[in-house]
Amino acid sequence: MKKTSVLAFGLVAATALTSPAKADKLDDIIASGTLRCAVVLDFPPMGARDESNNPIGFDVDYCNDLAKALGVTAEIVETPFPERIPALMSGRVDVGVASTSDTLERAKTVGMTIPYFAFEMAVTANDKSGVKSFEDMKGKTVGATAGTFEAIALENSVKAWGAGEFRPYQTQADVFLALSQGQIDATVSTSTVAQANVKTGKFPGISVVGKAPYDIDYVALFTNREEYGLINYLNLFINQQVRTGRYKELYEKWVGGDVPDLSVGGVYR
Amino acid sequence: MFNYTFHWNQALKALPQLLDGALVTLQIALLSMVIGLAVAMALTLFRLSGNRILSGFTTAWVEIARNTPALFQIYMAHFGLGSFGIHLSPYTALLVGIAFNNAGYLAENFRGALKAIPETQARAGRSLGMTPLMAFRYIVMPQMLRIAFLPATNQAVWAILMTSLGVTVGMNTDLAGVTQALNAVSFRTFEFFALAAVIYYLIAKAVTLAARLAATRMFRY
Repeated sequence: MKKTSVLAFGLVAATALTSPAKADKLDDIIASGTLRCAVVLDFPPMGARDESNNPIGFDVDYCNDLAKALGVTAEIVETPFPERIPALMSGRVDVGVASTSDTLERAKTVGMTIPYFAFEMAVTANDKSGVKSFEDMKGKTVGATAGTFEAIALENSVKAWGAGEFRPYQTQADVFLALSQGQIDATVSTSTVAQANVKTGKFPGISVVGKAPYDIDYVALFTNREEYGLINYLNLFINQQVRTGRYKELYEKWVGGDVPDLSVGGVYR
Repeated sequence: MFNYTFHWNQALKALPQLLDGALVTLQIALLSMVIGLAVAMALTLFRLSGNRILSGFTTAWVEIARNTPALFQIYMAHFGLGSFGIHLSPYTALLVGIAFNNAGYLAENFRGALKAIPETQARAGRSLGMTPLMAFRYIVMPQMLRIAFLPATNQAVWAILMTSLGVTVGMNTDLAGVTQALNAVSFRTFEFFALAAVIYYLIAKAVTLAARLAATRMFRY
């Protein structure tokens, strides 16, 4: 009698030990009390630093909102564009709030949410280059920020033109520095970034000359591909941001103008 | 913790592109060594000339090249000169930056090698009626190059690895640049960087082995 109860207890204990209820990433974030967001702080107005070096921008506010919704504190982890994925894979961040274009190629590696922001592409040119539109860029030396949607698109355009040269720089600031110095003749960037950089006055001799005929660049939050629980939460969060008017409010605070539509007509998701 | 499934087949498909990049890397490294050696030789002659301005020039070059990061030197060659309206392409800026660095280190190699050669040899040459330049050319220099050869291969390896800094000035045709571009498109960071690391290792190893073979052939007694 006693023996069997010991045996039964042992069995129960063993099963409890071998198959604990698996905590997913959403649990981990709530348990740890901290949400670590990968944010690109070289990408105004989405991410930047103020005079006292504090992170500011649309993405920073977005991460703070998300942390608030989860009931935890936000930690902004500065991540340059090329380092977003290593940061996620090595467990340094939980979620990327980093203006990441949701390409199919990338979705093979990370889990993308529904779009939380959308960019239009604009051409910014050095005033001396004679570039007045996207078509004028053919045969010129052009550049963009390595690892971005527009860099990939522009490099393909240069290849298709069969003339000119494409240069990827590591940061947005380097692109505009090179543009201002005349090292490159023109760049394609998101129109919000282009306006913000021209406005700073740090880069003299450049102006936004027109739109680039690329698809609208929908950007998504991302996390590990298999974290469905978290992705599900993030999708709902994005939906709520729009529904509650917070998206519009943040857009007006950081960008201004017409709020881009985050949905695509004629298809689900 | 480390939650990642490797997609090696996708990465291996890009191997030809990576190898093309490796060729550019090797080309820049070799060119930078050739330029570096020539400049280092000139700097050494400047130092030996006894002219205060010329030897001061050597000192300044060596001090800057050895005591500032290579990243800074390459960045300066592109953006620094760029702000004065001198536009070097990423390729040239990278080459100039590394050659500048090489020249500084190699000049120090040469200096060390010269110290290992007894001064009496040059004097013996002079007593046989050689001019100072002849004594240097026929007696000191061959020994100096022999002593400096293997340390210089260190610099060659360093030059190969330094080419990876080209990405900071918009270089996209060398191994590091190609790797970054592939990574940006697919986000398969670990596969591409692992492949690139292996290729860097193989290039560096090949250069060291080639140098050692050359040394045993050239420096036979």
